[in-house]
Amino acid sequence: MKNIVRFGFERVVQLMLVVFFVSSLTFWLLRLAPGDPAYLLLSAHNIPVSNEALTNLREELGLTDSLASQYVNWLQDAFTWQWGTSYVSREPVINELLHRLPATLELAGAGLLVMVLVTFLMGMATAFYSSGWLNKIGRGAALLGSSIPSFWLGFLLIYLCSVQLGWLPSMGRGTLAHLVLPALTLGLGLGSVYARVLRSNLLEAMDQPFVQAAKARGLSKRRILLFHILKHAFLPVVTMIGTSFAFMIGGSMIIESIFSWPGLGKYIIEAINKRDYPVIQGYVVLTSFLFVLIHIVVDILYRLVDPRMRVQ
Amino acid sequence: MRNKKQKWMLFLCAAMIGTLILSGCSQEKGADAETATATVAFPWSPSSLDPHGSDSWEVMRSGTGETLMKLDNELNTVPWLAEEWKREGAATWIFQLEENVTFHNGKSMDAASVKASLLRSIEKDAKAKDLLKIKAIETPAKNQLKIETTEPNAALPAHLADPSVIIGDVETLGKEDTYPALTGPFQIKQYQKDESLVVKRYEPYWGEKALLSEITIQFIPEGNTRLMALQSGDVDAAVDIPIDNIAVLEKNNQFQVMTAPSLRTHMMLFNFDSPLFKNKALRAAVDALIPRDEIVESVMKGKAAAAIGPFPELLPFSQGEEGKAASSFAALMKNEGWQKNEEAFWEKNGSMLEVNMLTFPQRPELTVMAEIIQSRLLENGVKLNLRQVENIDEALVKEKWDVAMYSMLTAHTGDPQYFLNLFYRSDSGSNPSHYASPALDGLIGQLNGTDNKDKRNELARDIQKIINNDLPQSFIVHPETVFALKKGMTGFSPHPIEYYYITAQMNMTRE
Repeated sequence: MKNIVRFGFERVVQLMLVVFFVSSLTFWLLRLAPGDPAYLLLSAHNIPVSNEALTNLREELGLTDSLASQYVNWLQDAFTWQWGTSYVSREPVINELLHRLPATLELAGAGLLVMVLVTFLMGMATAFYSSGWLNKIGRGAALLGSSIPSFWLGFLLIYLCSVQLGWLPSMGRGTLAHLVLPALTLGLGLGSVYARVLRSNLLEAMDQPFVQAAKARGLSKRRILLFHILKHAFLPVVTMIGTSFAFMIGGSMIIESIFSWPGLGKYIIEAINKRDYPVIQGYVVLTSFLFVLIHIVVDILYRLVDPRMRVQ
Repeated sequence: MRNKKQKWMLFLCAAMIGTLILSGCSQEKGADAETATATVAFPWSPSSLDPHGSDSWEVMRSGTGETLMKLDNELNTVPWLAEEWKREGAATWIFQLEENVTFHNGKSMDAASVKASLLRSIEKDAKAKDLLKIKAIETPAKNQLKIETTEPNAALPAHLADPSVIIGDVETLGKEDTYPALTGPFQIKQYQKDESLVVKRYEPYWGEKALLSEITIQFIPEGNTRLMALQSGDVDAAVDIPIDNIAVLEKNNQFQVMTAPSLRTHMMLFNFDSPLFKNKALRAAVDALIPRDEIVESVMKGKAAAAIGPFPELLPFSQGEEGKAASSFAALMKNEGWQKNEEAFWEKNGSMLEVNMLTFPQRPELTVMAEIIQSRLLENGVKLNLRQVENIDEALVKEKWDVAMYSMLTAHTGDPQYFLNLFYRSDSGSNPSHYASPALDGLIGQLNGTDNKDKRNELARDIQKIINNDLPQSFIVHPETVFALKKGMTGFSPHPIEYYYITAQMNMTRE
């Protein structure tokens, strides 16, 4: 228990350092990248802008201060969990991000569920019928899953399920039906790839001496599969699932845009296009925080599930 | 016993399904004009509902906001919340407001509330300040407004049609606990950031009452998703349909595709600081090579008009010039002392003619046009290096370039004054070609002080003659705005002004 507490403390320090470096790097990269937020705001409809208007807005947004002073302000804001005000909406960034976080978590959670289901069902089925037609289907699905771009799969699903069959809504958020297509788009590809990983882990585990021993002790096939082989083979997949969940939270921009899902991903694309620096910086801090946090949880889970890790 | 129970269950299920179907049918048939609703898909989503700021266009598009003036289909400035106006002095205007207008919270609109709204709009939006140039506002009577401008601003009535000066009850604007109280035929019912805006008919509306009881605006930024939302029946209409998808809808008789000329101009800028394009003859030679008709057909799929000047031909002050180059490209080049080398490229004093062009990804059709121009120049012995930059406006200031693709809304209030002042005056910071003409500056100054409409149009045409002669830009096409509607929708059609979308006349009849 003491080890776990120490481990947790170390990870929290790591988390703080990662968030600090990532946010500092983002600040400087953003300022070096081309783009003038004041101009983009004022010329939103391709109408010319006067010099006076530009100068006033730049001053109002604090863009005329030195970069060092802007950086110090940003650090102060970040450490007091303020993150400034959006250039576009003039609302506190923290409110803007927290308003959209539930939608992103909902989509990431549903996508993860699809991914885990596909991983387990396809992985186990193709491992236990490793030479049959099911394996061929699994291999084909993994190949497709890893090679089909998510935007294409998304449009394909909308076309089939909404336009042609009329079964599901084509976009938006609200009911469970709205969640189905984006969650499938998010989870299917990764799930079919991880199914192959789980399959190979299962096949490898089947030849291990502890499985022979379990058979010799007269345990049932189902018990050997669920409590011995699967437990052993599943461990590497836990890491992948954790990483994928973090990726889904931070990187589902394309899927959110395609399905008009009102989450962080869609919002950040608009913020990048408008060079809304406080929002982009706040987003990076929030997602890097969540990313590292999920990895810490996965590490702790790993230690709890795998006795070998605790011994080490 | 079990069979009997199963039969009962089956009967109950059938009865429930039947009731649901019947209730659905009766609701559909029962939807008369008083209760009819519609759902439309817009690509833009407002970051807030404050009409004074960067979201003013989105608020205007929702049918909830109104301005003192509006632009009719011929782009004439006509009364809206102001029933009449007159100019009293060089920089003083009197506006008589409509009576019986109420805000959506029930409060009456009068000169004092309009004054407060206008002052708030120029405080919140720098563009409103530039358009109006207000020095002082007085309220001589309950429904009379006296506006004094800092300098003669003959375009003031037209500029009062800009969405940045939507009239609202300032007590309700920018508040978290209440929606803005404006004066339009629809009032805000529900707003879900990034998702949708629901507006409902405002019953005590001062003008013609809205036909639809409720409209849901879905914010769908992705063009293909908007199209499929329409095809699947999730929305009844969609605006800004990607040009490549129009053919799909035109084949299906369940939909109608509507277009309107826009006031946007896609153009190619010449850089007057570039050693090459300081030379007018070279600008004219390159301009003559641009295949405008081919671009209209191949890139814009016929949904655009070839441009012959900065303003589209539907504007009364538009002045174009077709077939500017009488001589062939080769003859023009030879006249300027260029000769073809062994590789068939033009060169002068040992250096080859090589043009650097900038383009940007936000309007993909411009890059395709740039490639067509590149190919046409190559056929004629000119090498054009095409480079895509993320931020065109910054690149135009900071980088070296000869020509650049660009797009502008040239008369967003139906008046040329604002665009000409900012895009062409030699002292303007928004003059991307770095073009300076004292004659043009003088005429623009005259235009600013002239309020006679015919005289203004004449001055605007004279200004364009100078522009078409000096060629600081090559105007390529004026794209059209494309809407797609489900059969049964009426009163929702594209307008050259890109912020008049939802109106009281909009209706939806379902079969």
